[in-house]
Amino acid sequence: MNLLFGLSPFLAVGVGALLLMLAEAFGKPNVAPGVETTDAGAGRAGELALGAAVILVIGAVLSVAVWVAGPESLPELTQVAPHLVIDKFTLFFSFTLCVGGALAALLAGGYLPEHGIDRSEFFPLLLLSTVGAMALSAAGDLLTLFVALETMSLGVYSLIGLRRGSPRAAEAALKYFLLGSFAAAIMLFGLALLYGATGHTDLAGIGAAVRSIGSPGSTVSAGKILISLVLVLVGLAFKVSAVPFHQWTPDAYEGAPTPAATYMAVAVKSAAFAVLLRVLLVGFGDERLASWGAGWPPALAVLAVLSMTVANLVAGRQESVKRMLAYSSIAHAGYALVGVVAAMRSPEAVSAVAFYLLAYTVSTAGAFGALILCGSRGAEAVSYEDLAGVGKRHPAAALAFSLFLFSLAGLPPTAGFFGKLYVFRTAIDSGLYTLAILGLVNSVIGAYYYLRVMVYLYMREPAPGAPRAVTMRSGFVATALVAAAIFVLLLGMAPGFTLDMASGAALTAR
Amino acid sequence: MTPGGYFFGVCAVVAVLGALATISARNPIRGAMGLLATIVGIAGMYVQLSAQFLAAIQLIVYAGAVVVLFVFVIMLLGPDAHGADGGKRPGSWARWIAAPLVSVLLLGGAVLLARVSTPQRFRAAPPGHGTIEAVGGDVFGRALVPFELSTALLIVAAVGAIAIARSRATKPSERPASVGATRRLFGGAIHPRDARTVDDEVAR
Amino acid sequence: MSAFGHVLEHYVLVATLIFGIGCVGFLVRRNVLVQLMSIELMLNAVNLALVAYDREQGAGSTGQTFAFFVIAVAAAEVAVGLAIILAFYRLRGTVDGDVADTLRH
Repeated sequence: MNLLFGLSPFLAVGVGALLLMLAEAFGKPNVAPGVETTDAGAGRAGELALGAAVILVIGAVLSVAVWVAGPESLPELTQVAPHLVIDKFTLFFSFTLCVGGALAALLAGGYLPEHGIDRSEFFPLLLLSTVGAMALSAAGDLLTLFVALETMSLGVYSLIGLRRGSPRAAEAALKYFLLGSFAAAIMLFGLALLYGATGHTDLAGIGAAVRSIGSPGSTVSAGKILISLVLVLVGLAFKVSAVPFHQWTPDAYEGAPTPAATYMAVAVKSAAFAVLLRVLLVGFGDERLASWGAGWPPALAVLAVLSMTVANLVAGRQESVKRMLAYSSIAHAGYALVGVVAAMRSPEAVSAVAFYLLAYTVSTAGAFGALILCGSRGAEAVSYEDLAGVGKRHPAAALAFSLFLFSLAGLPPTAGFFGKLYVFRTAIDSGLYTLAILGLVNSVIGAYYYLRVMVYLYMREPAPGAPRAVTMRSGFVATALVAAAIFVLLLGMAPGFTLDMASGAALTAR
Repeated sequence: MTPGGYFFGVCAVVAVLGALATISARNPIRGAMGLLATIVGIAGMYVQLSAQFLAAIQLIVYAGAVVVLFVFVIMLLGPDAHGADGGKRPGSWARWIAAPLVSVLLLGGAVLLARVSTPQRFRAAPPGHGTIEAVGGDVFGRALVPFELSTALLIVAAVGAIAIARSRATKPSERPASVGATRRLFGGAIHPRDARTVDDEVAR
Repeated sequence: MSAFGHVLEHYVLVATLIFGIGCVGFLVRRNVLVQLMSIELMLNAVNLALVAYDREQGAGSTGQTFAFFVIAVAAAEVAVGLAIILAFYRLRGTVDGDVADTLRH
């Protein structure tokens, strides 16, 4: 019984996904009388979105419930170890993933009918992909890691490809699929080498074997470990979209239906960071491998600096708001990587990264949602000019957009401010002064392109005669925006509670 | 050289030649046959490595399903499956630097990993190694969680593949909630500047 | 060379060779079907390495179980990948990956 309770977040979302599929398959399509359709879910995107969001909210609530009960007090959970390690780290990330997924589902409930994407498979795919993402954040074994990673990824590739009839979406899906599978295959080779070198597939066993390098009687080959570290980092850097492995991100986000882009930006990234932290700290947490001189921290530091800098510089030159948000998410990955670099030296760094990802999830979902709100009836708000004058026409949408942009830029009193504060503070505490300074400088540079959107919202008028995106009216999108705004403000004005939760999520290198 | 050695040699040569054929064949059917050769060669090596069950699974799933799926799609595409220009063209410079670099790195890595100077024979395989019972015991015992997770994987793949590749389920002329004459709904125009493409596609 | 075919390193060498060939194929070829086949080559190579390491380890079948799941994942990936390729083909009329460049402006 305790085992079921401990696994309940995963089970709830998984079983919910299956029930939603059945509901979709056996219901009646909601089309105008006389229209023939073979799709039982046609026109029912709203109900399915509501169902998906409810299931994910239940998953989030159950994550909190298991947290409160204390996973340490559920000894039966060792039965699923090492494949699923249910500790507070996992539960925090499960909560983040469920919140991000629920927001994406609500946004889709408004977006899909408005823009004529009659693929109701979106929601079961979203739910099952979230199951994969949650399992990825819980993965303590290479086997589960790979299966969960691919489950999440295949779901996302399918979500992107659902927009039929758009060549851009087909391109985005194709490119992301090919590059993603390539990166996954590279990472898998690294995992195979790791198994070959240590004889273990569980991260704890690998960590122990790595630590025993050099001691008498150890047959572990350091060369294999190093090569596998490089390969695994390459694969995960791709998923996290760190520069220079980020080339797929702007195209994928731009071509995908915006709720799918939202899901990618929040859930895939959070799950990838969770597994990155776990693999590095538990598997490669040996002092010699994680030393500043030669090991993964300097490599990640380089990736962090590149991601922050390159993304901030390019984002300002984008003409399309969606691409700008894609580069913004790359920059945020850079800031979070600063926290990962600090993770070996300071256990609070893991909590800081977890909190940062939660703040980033709600802010990004809100920003994408506000963008969705500004377009309707098949014409999305794509470029900055489309947003011109929205401040006058639809002040609520503009206000929401501004709040989320403030949060992404890291201005108080929003969640983004505290997220960046904690990450940079742990970096300073760990002695990574250069990284922290670079991060602060980049935050300031980054504020430019967020504020640029606000300039267009409030201070520009649309050019006469230019095609103008009209804001949509959708209860789903509005609900999602309100929920995201509540989170952003809550985390921004009263971060202490959530930060205490995040501190419990610390993962040590032992 | 033992018979096992000959068998390994043959399988290895078949596998590597098949791989080379896959990446260099202009006709994708030849590429698929190369892939098949690689798969069969690797299955042979599995048998040599005392992984009989896996060899059977490899042949059934990879050769019997994956390659067949490739061949179906290639046949479906017809002459368009060739792509353009045989696939090798002075394209972006990055590709032509990356490929030799990658191959050099990998050969170097292979030599490093191989340690061919001090080869040590395998110890005798424990009895029952590689049988269905051994792998099955793992899959339903120790590795039960990934097995259950692969449920989600397979459902995602099936639903996703069908959703992407299926043609329109609802007649386009009677789209629900159709707007006035100025906008097409399902045709994918993200931006008004794409409106031209929409008409072309719908007319196809 | 009586140990030929009974040594771990020979199998790993073959696996790395096939992996490298797959990498090169993915990077150089433009035909997306061939790119997908190259990814399958890479996954097969990894499987070979896993089974070889498993044989070296002796007791337990961890490597073979891992390879078993990799086969399942690869099959699922091919299904989704071919669906995406078909959707792309229906819209652009070609399987040439370089044609997919309208997203860059």
